[in-house]
Amino acid sequence: MTDRIIELLKAQGVDAFEVTDKCTSAWEFYFIKHELDQNRVRDVEHINVTVYRKLEDGKFLGSATQEISPTASEEEAKKIIADLYERAQYVKNPYYELNKKKVEGGGEKFDPAQMARDFIEAMQQIPETSGEDINSYEIFAESNTRRYVNSEGIDVTVSYPSSTVEVVVNARNDKHEIELYRMYTSGTCDKDNLVKEISKTLSFGKDRLITVPTPALDKATVLFTTADAVEIFKWFAMKMHAAFKYRGYSDWEKGKAICENVEGDTFTIKAVKELPNSSYNAPVDSQGAEIRDMYILKENVPENFWGDAQFRYYLGVPDSFIASNFAAEGGSLSESELRSGNYLEPVEFSDFSVDPITGDIAGEIRLAYWHEGDKVTPVSGGSVSGTLTDLIRNVRLSKELKQYDTTLIPSAVKIEGVTVTGA
Amino acid sequence: MKAKFSTYLNDIAPGLKDLIAELEKSYDYVSVLSTDSVGFNVRVSQRVKSVSGSTLTTERGNVIRVYKDGLYSEFSFNRFDPERAKDMVAEVRGVLDAQLSVLKATQSKIYNTPKLDDEKQELFVEMETGSLPEETDLSALVDKLQKFSDEGVALSDEVIDCNCVAQSTHICKMFLTANKDLRQSYVYSEGAVFMIGARDGKSDQSFSGISDRLGPEIFDGMGEVVKESFRGLNDTLGADHVIPGEYEIITTPEISGLIAHEAFGHGVEMDMFVKKRALGAEYLGKRVGSDIVTMHEGAKCVRDVTSYAFDDEGTPAGDVVEIDKGILKTGVCDALAALRLGTKPTGNGKRENFEHKVYTRMTNTMFDPGTSTKEEMIKSVKKGYLLDGMDSGMEDPKHWGIQCIVARGYEIIDGKLTGKVVSPVIMTGYVPDLLGSISMASTDYESHGNGACGKGHKEWVKTVDGGPYLKAVAKLG
Repeated sequence: MTDRIIELLKAQGVDAFEVTDKCTSAWEFYFIKHELDQNRVRDVEHINVTVYRKLEDGKFLGSATQEISPTASEEEAKKIIADLYERAQYVKNPYYELNKKKVEGGGEKFDPAQMARDFIEAMQQIPETSGEDINSYEIFAESNTRRYVNSEGIDVTVSYPSSTVEVVVNARNDKHEIELYRMYTSGTCDKDNLVKEISKTLSFGKDRLITVPTPALDKATVLFTTADAVEIFKWFAMKMHAAFKYRGYSDWEKGKAICENVEGDTFTIKAVKELPNSSYNAPVDSQGAEIRDMYILKENVPENFWGDAQFRYYLGVPDSFIASNFAAEGGSLSESELRSGNYLEPVEFSDFSVDPITGDIAGEIRLAYWHEGDKVTPVSGGSVSGTLTDLIRNVRLSKELKQYDTTLIPSAVKIEGVTVTGA
Repeated sequence: MKAKFSTYLNDIAPGLKDLIAELEKSYDYVSVLSTDSVGFNVRVSQRVKSVSGSTLTTERGNVIRVYKDGLYSEFSFNRFDPERAKDMVAEVRGVLDAQLSVLKATQSKIYNTPKLDDEKQELFVEMETGSLPEETDLSALVDKLQKFSDEGVALSDEVIDCNCVAQSTHICKMFLTANKDLRQSYVYSEGAVFMIGARDGKSDQSFSGISDRLGPEIFDGMGEVVKESFRGLNDTLGADHVIPGEYEIITTPEISGLIAHEAFGHGVEMDMFVKKRALGAEYLGKRVGSDIVTMHEGAKCVRDVTSYAFDDEGTPAGDVVEIDKGILKTGVCDALAALRLGTKPTGNGKRENFEHKVYTRMTNTMFDPGTSTKEEMIKSVKKGYLLDGMDSGMEDPKHWGIQCIVARGYEIIDGKLTGKVVSPVIMTGYVPDLLGSISMASTDYESHGNGACGKGHKEWVKTVDGGPYLKAVAKLG
């Protein structure tokens, strides 16, 4: 169908086009305890077409996008393309160019059956007890193949696996039962890591049963040691997104430090081509640009913007791409050295969020450890909040790094002056 | 006018019925949900524009559900040739059997579930709409949004940009079994204004929207949304942080809806009862709120973006009273959870799209109105905040914790708004305490359908919530 669509686009005489054809073969298993609730298979193809139209002698470039179903008749596909060409003239954006550089695809196809089986076997290895066990879990194992074609001569295909496991664990004592929620994404199944992570979550569950209300600490030192810290690094990455910059949502400038009077560590973040078992390890981005290792922020100084071809063109950054994997550098102290003084270590939030524009952080605490020297007290309730634009002046990053799917970050991030509301 | 049902779905229906008949030779129950929903998403700001034919709910595809030996299995696909329906049977059976082999090899047990009934039923619904997204003049719409965006940035030099978004979707769904043939067609639309601004070197944002189960004609009303969004931005830009503590609060209908949704909506989704993940199962018939609290849930409650005729399992739309004068009466339920719990489904079985599993999901979740006016409510507050503007929320059905992030709090001292604004506001607490503290409700009754709701951190569906202004007590931080 894709080749036919490309022929129709050429016959229509559009000024430029992009076609993305993504095929997914997926196996899914849903368990309650360890009993199968439902099994599912997905076998789908999605073809997305963008048509471009030069306006006012090429000063502007219009575009319009739509999915064309693989079951669409020729007449239907023709009509959609004609409609897109018509619609493109209403979308008067400043002129930009699509990616042109020839690129090589790659990757291998994975068997979702084997991936799903590995996940089932991993989940059966979790060391459950009468006090801490699995409530339910959902397994999603995908093999993806994506072909990208544009009018500038790029025709590239990449294949990659993608998996998700959602797990709910319970812990109980004589008085009550609690639950903790986790969602792990990766390429294929890393059995050892999954078992280790879920086992750790079970121990968190045990501690949550004996929590006391979080004290009202007003301003406190907070140590982030779980996947929630990824949200903080995502904020840095989004501030360097070309669309964010162009739209005025980011005031960061290349070569100019993002803050002054830094008392702690600085941030260095790279976009990287691959991370081990990431759910997106591909040599090419979704617009046909080659992915490589590239600093986006070096010691708090913006180095390179990344993102869609359109916004990169506007910013004058042609040699970049849509990054998928990010790796941050660690600081000068070890995690054990960071674990000093009084600090709060939240390990479970209802939801930890970072506002991409304001940098406001917020999260209701479901489980945290309040460290006072050698004394450690599990606490729950209350919230943490603050604004990253202020907080990043006094942050310490551990030397050790930890990977969460597409992001490699310091295993511990210690932030001073976070507002902690008591329960 | 009527929202005309999909010609494509009508064309493939005979082929799907052949497929169902063939699969019934191997399985004890077979259903197919087929979808063909089209729409548009138009975005206009000062710096960039876009037009796309995709919204959260545009799709074309099918999902087969089969049942045998206590197990439900599904196959989602979007390459279907009605002329070769019978050939597909071997493919479906083959891959589902392969999954069973993996289950056998891993010695996985089955969660045994009874078989769904398949009583004869036919339904054909084409709901009323003012216009259709596929017939909309997008040129005129882009111009209209450009005008709104221009008006937005002209309101103040502090406005960096005013993004105006208009999206409209024509939903067509067909649910078939050996005995059922249900077809529905309706249109819903959403308009939103997202404004960003800066003051004294600090950026902030605001969001306002409109929604309805109507066509693109609703976008004519977006001028007011621009003004509302600017009011929010202007108030947020000068805001302080709230001093953490417990306060009297008055919630706008939008925030009342957020509480309804996060505090109790998720907590009575009865697939969570099956997994013993919801405290609500233990509180049926018991008090969970003050006498003022009555809450409805269902596609028939109000007319908004999730007001469909039947859900994704072919169950007719409902209107359930979940909380009646503070007493928890019942939850909402998809068809399989209902079988497992020995109850009736309520029309709340929803999929993100044809590729996703059904879960029990909310539709319209609404607090009933009361008898007070907003002014009387403000006058009754000694020290507290009027909370307005939704950012996000998170459910916690197992422990009844609540987390709502609210854009703005307007200070009230001795019954009067002081003009001081705090932002953002994190509202936390224990659900029965929060609902138990509700002491006044206004006569207003508004629904809000601009958001999307996840289950955990995935499975995004459209939901609506709202109600009146409420007065309560909550922890703010």
